[in-house]
Amino acid sequence: MPVVALYFDRIEGILGKKISKEKIISTLPFIGLDIEEETKDHVNVEYSPNRPDYATDYGIVSSLQGLLGIKTGIPKLKIKKGKNSITVNPSVRKIRPFVTAIEARNGKLNDETIRQLIVMQEDLHNGIGRRRKKSSIGIHDLDKISFPLRYTTTGKDDKFIPLDSSKEMSIRDILERTTEAGIKYGYLLANFKKVPIILDSHGHKISLPPIINSERTKISNNTRNLLVEVTAMEKNAAEDTLAVITNVLQDAGFELFSIKISGANNSTPLLKPRNLILDSDLVNKILGIKISISTMVSALRKSRLDAQSKGQKIICTIPRYRTDIFGPMDLVEEVALGYGIENLEPTIPRSISVGQKAKITTTLDAINSVMIGLGFSEVMNFGLMSQRVLCDYTKRDSSKIVSVSDSKSQEHTILRNAILPGLIDTLSKNIHESYPQKLFETGVVFLQRNGDISEEIHLACVSAHNDITFTEIKSVLQSFLKSISNFGCRTPTSTNPMFLVGSTADVFVFNDKIGEIGLISPEVRDNFKLRVPIAGFEIKLTVNI
Amino acid sequence: MSQVLHPIEQKILKLLLEKQNLTPEELSEKTELSIDQVRRGIEWLRFKDLVQVNESEKHFVSLGKRGLEASDNGLPERQLVNYLKSSFGSSCEMNEAKNQLKTEFSAAIANAKKNGWIEIHENRILLKGYHDLTPEERLIKTIVSRSPEVVSVDEIEDKNALDSLKKRPEFLTINSTKYVTVNLSEKGIETAKNVSSNSISISDSIATTLARDGASLSDTTPVTDSITVKVARAIDVEAPAPIVFVARSHPLQDVINEVREIFIGLGFTEVVGNLVQSSFWNFDALFTPQDHPAREMQDTFYIRNLHAKTIATKNQISNVSQIHKKGWKYDWKLDETKRLVLRTHTTCVTIKELADRKPDEARIFSIGRVFRNEKVSYKHLVEFNQVEGVVVGKNVTLRDLMGLQREFYLKMGMKKIKFWPTFFPYTEPSLQSMVYNEKLEKWVELFGMGIFRPEVTNPLGIKNPVLAWGGGIERIAMLKYGLDDVRELYNNSLGWLRNVPKCQ
Repeated sequence: MPVVALYFDRIEGILGKKISKEKIISTLPFIGLDIEEETKDHVNVEYSPNRPDYATDYGIVSSLQGLLGIKTGIPKLKIKKGKNSITVNPSVRKIRPFVTAIEARNGKLNDETIRQLIVMQEDLHNGIGRRRKKSSIGIHDLDKISFPLRYTTTGKDDKFIPLDSSKEMSIRDILERTTEAGIKYGYLLANFKKVPIILDSHGHKISLPPIINSERTKISNNTRNLLVEVTAMEKNAAEDTLAVITNVLQDAGFELFSIKISGANNSTPLLKPRNLILDSDLVNKILGIKISISTMVSALRKSRLDAQSKGQKIICTIPRYRTDIFGPMDLVEEVALGYGIENLEPTIPRSISVGQKAKITTTLDAINSVMIGLGFSEVMNFGLMSQRVLCDYTKRDSSKIVSVSDSKSQEHTILRNAILPGLIDTLSKNIHESYPQKLFETGVVFLQRNGDISEEIHLACVSAHNDITFTEIKSVLQSFLKSISNFGCRTPTSTNPMFLVGSTADVFVFNDKIGEIGLISPEVRDNFKLRVPIAGFEIKLTVNI
Repeated sequence: MSQVLHPIEQKILKLLLEKQNLTPEELSEKTELSIDQVRRGIEWLRFKDLVQVNESEKHFVSLGKRGLEASDNGLPERQLVNYLKSSFGSSCEMNEAKNQLKTEFSAAIANAKKNGWIEIHENRILLKGYHDLTPEERLIKTIVSRSPEVVSVDEIEDKNALDSLKKRPEFLTINSTKYVTVNLSEKGIETAKNVSSNSISISDSIATTLARDGASLSDTTPVTDSITVKVARAIDVEAPAPIVFVARSHPLQDVINEVREIFIGLGFTEVVGNLVQSSFWNFDALFTPQDHPAREMQDTFYIRNLHAKTIATKNQISNVSQIHKKGWKYDWKLDETKRLVLRTHTTCVTIKELADRKPDEARIFSIGRVFRNEKVSYKHLVEFNQVEGVVVGKNVTLRDLMGLQREFYLKMGMKKIKFWPTFFPYTEPSLQSMVYNEKLEKWVELFGMGIFRPEVTNPLGIKNPVLAWGGGIERIAMLKYGLDDVRELYNNSLGWLRNVPKCQ
């Protein structure tokens, strides 16, 4: 989850009231932030991606103000009508169809504000923007731009100077090799012959969405006026993104001016709040409390929403940037937060239900106790394991193994279809421990059958010591089966590369083959660098056992 | 009560008080205990810090093959002198001597020359000077005279003779033996002084029997003296006995069982489900949009090349698809729901159970393995255990959910808890519980909880509110066993598995 650094001196300035450091720290969790690290001058907090407005300290302070009662209700967004415009050429329709933008004037940027803006931009790219695929943001120095702008397409051989470069490059190079952003996100445009581009009235390229801006419009500490543009695959995503930034810019002291957007189904963003009706009964029913409508209204205002009672209902006004609110249930949570989670006293719900284990759990409990009674200790291995242990070292067939895509770890790439290999691996990790070593494991194995995956529960055990014999392990198997179900078994001789030739057998109960038993072959032991002889068996646990 | 000593120990102590630095063999000889008894006694005493055992090495010298020949026939130089004496004019041609001495010839010439016994003139050897016994010859004599006993290197005074003979191949054999000597520690001296000579002599026979068969005394042992009875029955109860490694369940399994028992105690019934699930139940049914970052391959294990054939009822699929299109406003795709995943939570099992049964009231839970495509580290595993409980009821509330949490933690022995708001994609409101850990002296984040969103329950026909809560089991196991690295739970190190205390 994304992390934001909150500097106490800045917070104090934005809050508008002197609040102790301790109070701030103890309030942060109650607006839904996790404290990651606390230092003398700042605290790092982690926020959930459903609240993109927490990507900067401005958004966080806005919530703090509410909960601390400094400012409540919706933060009013003031957007003056601007003179500038962007026209959209229909050629972007199949590539990246939507653009939206806002002007922010007469503000001041310092290093920390710029840092916060850049972090917010990245968080929005990854969150709402889905790694820039769905929406992406460009922030520019407004004074370097001559309007009107055109959002259109161009060929990959066209050239401009990308951000943080000194020389002109072809778009193809920018996407494929010369810029970090191009290498990382270039794939988003790889399948198109043309790419989206924003041009100013002189034809200067100011942005290559969703990859990179031009060096020409780069912002600095001296920048006073900004242009923020958002391009997107969906209109809604574009405006969601812009709404979050707009609020932050207003909090940071900028004056906002609208930009007229037109062409190819695009339109000027409204960024207006919306209304949702909340039934006061729902609040009390879900939270398990009895509070008055006026208490609910004030709680909602503390959550920085506007609320008005109308009979038993409350009309809630939700600012455009709160994209996380879908319906009444989300408003119930807003009431709970404003009311204070700490004010909700836990209760125990009455119930006449009687709990019960699943049948398989009861069976496995019995199996475990019998295996322990036979002197075997339980171990637990992973179901997702390595080809090396499951097949290569144990000389097992790997053709029907189920594997997963793009595992981050070489040790966890395929799903086990047997437990015994993992047990042998466990023995190999314990060669310095005293013998005899007798281990067992029960667990799910995965089998591929006719293009489907079926899951079975298996039991496997190994016994390792210098005097091990086939008879000993067969005795364990027979005693186990007798003890669990009073079943007998047959063990006709078989061949299996994991076991020693002549000392291995299939295990049959009635007419079903349920497993294999034998002495582990010396070659397999060599692969695991195990010197001590090993015997083991693995059986499928069916309905009856 | 003073320390009880085994008769074997008493005998050894007593003897050592008279004479320190004895070897086990010497102790055995003088105490008339067997060497095994003495060795065992020394180990016991050493464990109690009553004796110190010093290990050292001794070298012994004996005659080698040529040394033995030399002892019978004289050294080659002596043989040469004898031959010359018996020859005419006490001299001979080189070749004659060579024939006589064969392979010893050059050694004989070199040493006789060194001793000043001969002179060589134009291929003739002439005897000269006195021919007293050399130091080497004396050394051989000494060694022979002590035979069959071996002679310790330390006892040999003429070290030059020894070195000189050592340089001549196969004359001497040097053997080294490691041996131990035992002496009393300060504590041992005190204890030995208190050993009553009476008790040893009286219980001698019993002690010997006892030590020999290692069994306890039977009641039929003939004893008359009251002191004897005391000493004979008083075995060393403080001596360590061997540890047996007990076969047992895995410590993590114990925690899983404990958690399961608590859920059952709270009235929950267990449901189980497959580890491989369709994306439909793992994500779509839980209102997780198809382009949500959690669904990307960076976070989730997708099964390679296989897709779900049947996923849900037609109705379930169409309702879920509608809510996605309405709520998230995107192009929802059926194919995406068929991708098979290793379940990322147990919620897919509980939600399917609720969707299929549509109970008005229920308490169910699911516990088992879940998977995340993460880099394995001290705090992350790709595969771990999760528990999740749900309560369905007409009048269940968020406070009830908090109450169930509190009850669960109380039963786990965790008394101080608090709640913070948080976010989960499929619950609203959502809370997380913080539990105060006495050992770590800090608040630890444990289970998360919330009420299933209407966007989850409505499409599946679940009418009443559903409280849901759960979290990872390994976290609890780490707190319980005091581990800082979650990987230790799956190392299967027998050292840990055999020794970690069962009850904590």
